[in-house]
Amino acid sequence: MTSTTAAVEADQLVKIYPGNVHAVAGISFSVPAGEAFGLLGPNGAGKTTTIGMLTTTVKPTSGRATLGGIDVARNPTATRAISSVVFQDAVVDRPLTGRQNLLLHLRLWGVDPAAGRIRCDQLSDAVGITHLLDRPVATYSGGERRRLEIVRALLSGPQVLFLDEPTVGLDTRVRHDLFDAITTIRERTGVTIIMTTHYLDEAERLCDRLAIIDAGRIVVCDSPRNLLASIGPEVLDLRVANPEMAVAALRGRGIAEHDIAVTGSTVTASLRDVSSQHITEHLTRFSVTVHSATTRRPSLDDVYLRLTGAHIATGTDN
Amino acid sequence: MTTATTTAPAAVLPAPAISRPTNVVPALALRRLALTIRSPRAVAIPLLAPVLFALVVAPALGNTLAGPGQHRTYMTFVALAAAGLLIPVNCMFTGLGVLTDRQHGAMRELLVAPIRRASIVLGNLLAALVITALQVSVLIFVVALRGAQFHTGRHLVWLVASAVGLAVFVYSLAETFATKITNAEEYTGLVPPIAIVPFFFAGTLYPITSLPGWLAGIAKVLPLTHAVALFRYGLTAQGEQALHNIWGMTDPTRMALLSLAVVSAYAAAALALAIRLFAKAGTS
Repeated sequence: MTSTTAAVEADQLVKIYPGNVHAVAGISFSVPAGEAFGLLGPNGAGKTTTIGMLTTTVKPTSGRATLGGIDVARNPTATRAISSVVFQDAVVDRPLTGRQNLLLHLRLWGVDPAAGRIRCDQLSDAVGITHLLDRPVATYSGGERRRLEIVRALLSGPQVLFLDEPTVGLDTRVRHDLFDAITTIRERTGVTIIMTTHYLDEAERLCDRLAIIDAGRIVVCDSPRNLLASIGPEVLDLRVANPEMAVAALRGRGIAEHDIAVTGSTVTASLRDVSSQHITEHLTRFSVTVHSATTRRPSLDDVYLRLTGAHIATGTDN
Repeated sequence: MTTATTTAPAAVLPAPAISRPTNVVPALALRRLALTIRSPRAVAIPLLAPVLFALVVAPALGNTLAGPGQHRTYMTFVALAAAGLLIPVNCMFTGLGVLTDRQHGAMRELLVAPIRRASIVLGNLLAALVITALQVSVLIFVVALRGAQFHTGRHLVWLVASAVGLAVFVYSLAETFATKITNAEEYTGLVPPIAIVPFFFAGTLYPITSLPGWLAGIAKVLPLTHAVALFRYGLTAQGEQALHNIWGMTDPTRMALLSLAVVSAYAAAALALAIRLFAKAGTS
């Protein structure tokens, strides 16, 4: 792979499943080598299908994708040789030991046995699972098993590592341990990471750039910092008696016109160009009862809410 | 982390040397064997019914049905045919492991490995053949201890070749069903019609000439009928008669070759289908 070749390139990928289910409706992005790129969206947004197309387990209906400049559809075996996947749920031989699982990966990816064993030790040590390797995987905790899968995925020195919802189903402490493990691995290998997630903290902490996906399309793609900056320094959550009237009142005066979202009886407005006091006073003048008003730092959920009208965490339409 | 860097950090761990994977099929077979042997039940349970059949039912039938001096011959006739029950039952149960692999094991990891997907099927098949060979050896050993009259070394190669062909055929069917079926209960429900029902029409307990004409015609196209005839041709003095009942010829070698060709054709077709469907199912 030359320095000018993108590690991963997706060009208008479309996947329509039987029953005319449009899982992915034309996704394009380019990821340079060494970047951690996130696909962020609620369940059913098309993230896993996109990963499936890039890892040759899902055949695109149309469009093209390359890994390291190699066409995924035309040369699937070659692209599989330079990539690895950590799946959303556990994909391991539980009756076998961690070491047996790792050794099989070495064999299947054609890694030199001596070099493979050294790398196995180095990576296991880096994520703290060396002491577990000779135990059956069935005895591992969820976090330990996920670490094993990350080590396994990196054994062959892949150019691209796919992490499909890497911390789903894990408790908070284990999730944070895993963030640290992924960061360590990234520092020590320089691997390009393509990650799907619906966890906002995970996306913000681990990704250099994010593509926010809704209904099979990328609605925005930028760094987490820029995405958050697009909302403004703060947002205001207003609990009101009549949200529709509140929105009409604010928009009628051109206040936060494009930065208002409604969830139930909560109206969320960006404070980029206006103060919270100005908003509450204006609503009071229009006889809108404000039960509470809270300012806070914006989150990626606010970005998603503004762009799609739904929350990532629930995926429910507003 | 919100830094929008696009350059790769310095790599502390160098990537290992990799080459085109070799000996993938044996590696996958060893994996499947390791998974199966971790559960001894998977090896022992398919043996129970055929061994019981060979040690208890066959001698009892011999004593009841055969004339004086013939009971040992009949016992041998029936006991050897128990392999025709053992191989299909074992191969079908081994296929269940593939279903489990897809739902709870490392199958998806195998599907993103830089290997031909046919290798996965062939690795599983190789493991099934090893387990089946072990089980058939145990069966023949205990049947011999029970007093069966074998002519070892006579045409043993026919027995081995037909057993391999039958195992490849049934295991390929098992792999095909495991690819298409997602429910273990539904899969298990296929074991009787695939592995047990044909046993009663394949000349195992009585010659196929004892069947009504139309049923004998069906029996002659069953691969199990040809395999059982070859088992007998390989290990007993009555084998030529079993082949004659199918082909109506007099040259035993020619008849054995024809029967082996039938078993092999079934095996090749079923294996090709299994590989094709597995590869197709690996990419949705």
